[in-house]
Amino acid sequence: MSVKYIPVQWNPNKWIYDGIMLAGVAAFLWVFIHVTPEILSHERPINSQVHNARAFGACAFLMLSIILAIGPLAKLDTRFMPLLYNRRHFGVMTAFVATAHAGYILNWYFAFSFVPKWDALILSNTNYGQLLGFPFEALGAFALVILLILAATSHDFWLKFLTAPVWKRLHYLIYLAYVSVVAHISLGILQDQQSLFLPVFFIVTAFLVALLHVWAYLAERKTGDPLASAEGDWMRVCQADEIDEGRARIALLPDGKRVAVFKHEGKLSAISNACAHQNGPLGEGRIIDCLVTCPWHGFQYRVTDGQSPAPFTEKIPTYNLRVQDGAVLVDPKANPPGTHVDPVEVA
Amino acid sequence: MMAAGLVIFAEYWLMVGAVVALFFLTIGIDRIDEDARGAYIFRPLLVPGVLLIWPMVLWRWYALETGRADEAKRYKAVRGAYGFVAIGMAIAIGVIIATGLSIKQTWPAHIAPELLSEAGQ
Repeated sequence: MSVKYIPVQWNPNKWIYDGIMLAGVAAFLWVFIHVTPEILSHERPINSQVHNARAFGACAFLMLSIILAIGPLAKLDTRFMPLLYNRRHFGVMTAFVATAHAGYILNWYFAFSFVPKWDALILSNTNYGQLLGFPFEALGAFALVILLILAATSHDFWLKFLTAPVWKRLHYLIYLAYVSVVAHISLGILQDQQSLFLPVFFIVTAFLVALLHVWAYLAERKTGDPLASAEGDWMRVCQADEIDEGRARIALLPDGKRVAVFKHEGKLSAISNACAHQNGPLGEGRIIDCLVTCPWHGFQYRVTDGQSPAPFTEKIPTYNLRVQDGAVLVDPKANPPGTHVDPVEVA
Repeated sequence: MMAAGLVIFAEYWLMVGAVVALFFLTIGIDRIDEDARGAYIFRPLLVPGVLLIWPMVLWRWYALETGRADEAKRYKAVRGAYGFVAIGMAIAIGVIIATGLSIKQTWPAHIAPELLSEAGQ
């Protein structure tokens, strides 16, 4: 959370996260380049430029796979949640590694082209109508453009400016980039591999990512947030005694938004389930130091008015609620963000 | 021709983006985001983003300036598309890898390579 924007919001946890990530990248590249040439089908001598291109390409694929695995892992097991915390730095680093891969390719295969290198890359093979010999380079270039767009729009300013839903939709392009990378590899280097190591590494990793996402989706469907049921003009969320102290129950409202009803010091308050930052599920978080804390990035709000404590300026909508015969009823019409609503005593 | 056209299109796209970035990051951003007022060091970081998605920047700038932005939509999380994306991606990965493996050509192991000419001196 920031009052004024700064370039990067560093903190000790992010330093540690980024340090581990950078060390991992360096270790992968070192192992790929210096330790394992024989198991990577490099029995024929290749020059260092191509070797480096392959190392950075493999590293970018692995990083992208890890990034895509973090989301479903965090959905399936909250112990993976800390990995989600600084995933954007991971994404930006992946864009840099992928750019390095493209740079090595362009500056080797198209170094002496009589047309500009990017022209040459697109012009050199135009067999788009056939699978064998398909211009897989274009698939890689397409994925790289997406990675650059996502990296370039990763600052918190973009979240606030575009709004979290639009930003999320834009960043859904990561899935298209991954499919494009899988095609880039399948129709490219996979066709040239004689050893088993890289194809097995690639196929297992890609299928693992696919499996995790399907698994997480099915789990979410099974244990998803219940639809609030109508009680006149109000919506029934749950029984008041079903909510634990410091925790919330979430319900889906008819307009597609979710409400989170929290119990704090024995009283109930209802706020939007969507964090103002990235629309993280506030109701899956808990109250820490009297503030609702988003499980994704730790943004905090007062439960009674949905406002972040000063000097922070984020606010979310609140909802009127009442307890009737032990049932928690919520007015489905949200109050403007930051509206104070007196907490309701549990009868 | 097509390739050259694509590259020229990309160049013009970036040029227009540069003009948008110039005006947005010096004038527009202060008008539509109070958190940006007085904050200048982070602005160069936004330049690549404006260059790449300048039509979205213009659209949001216009919506915020004219009050047409529906701020209530800010709190409607995008979750409905996840199933489509997860299953679609899994199917696409399976099909693509199967296709890649099926067209992979291997040199018959029993055929020894033929030396067509002596190596040059």
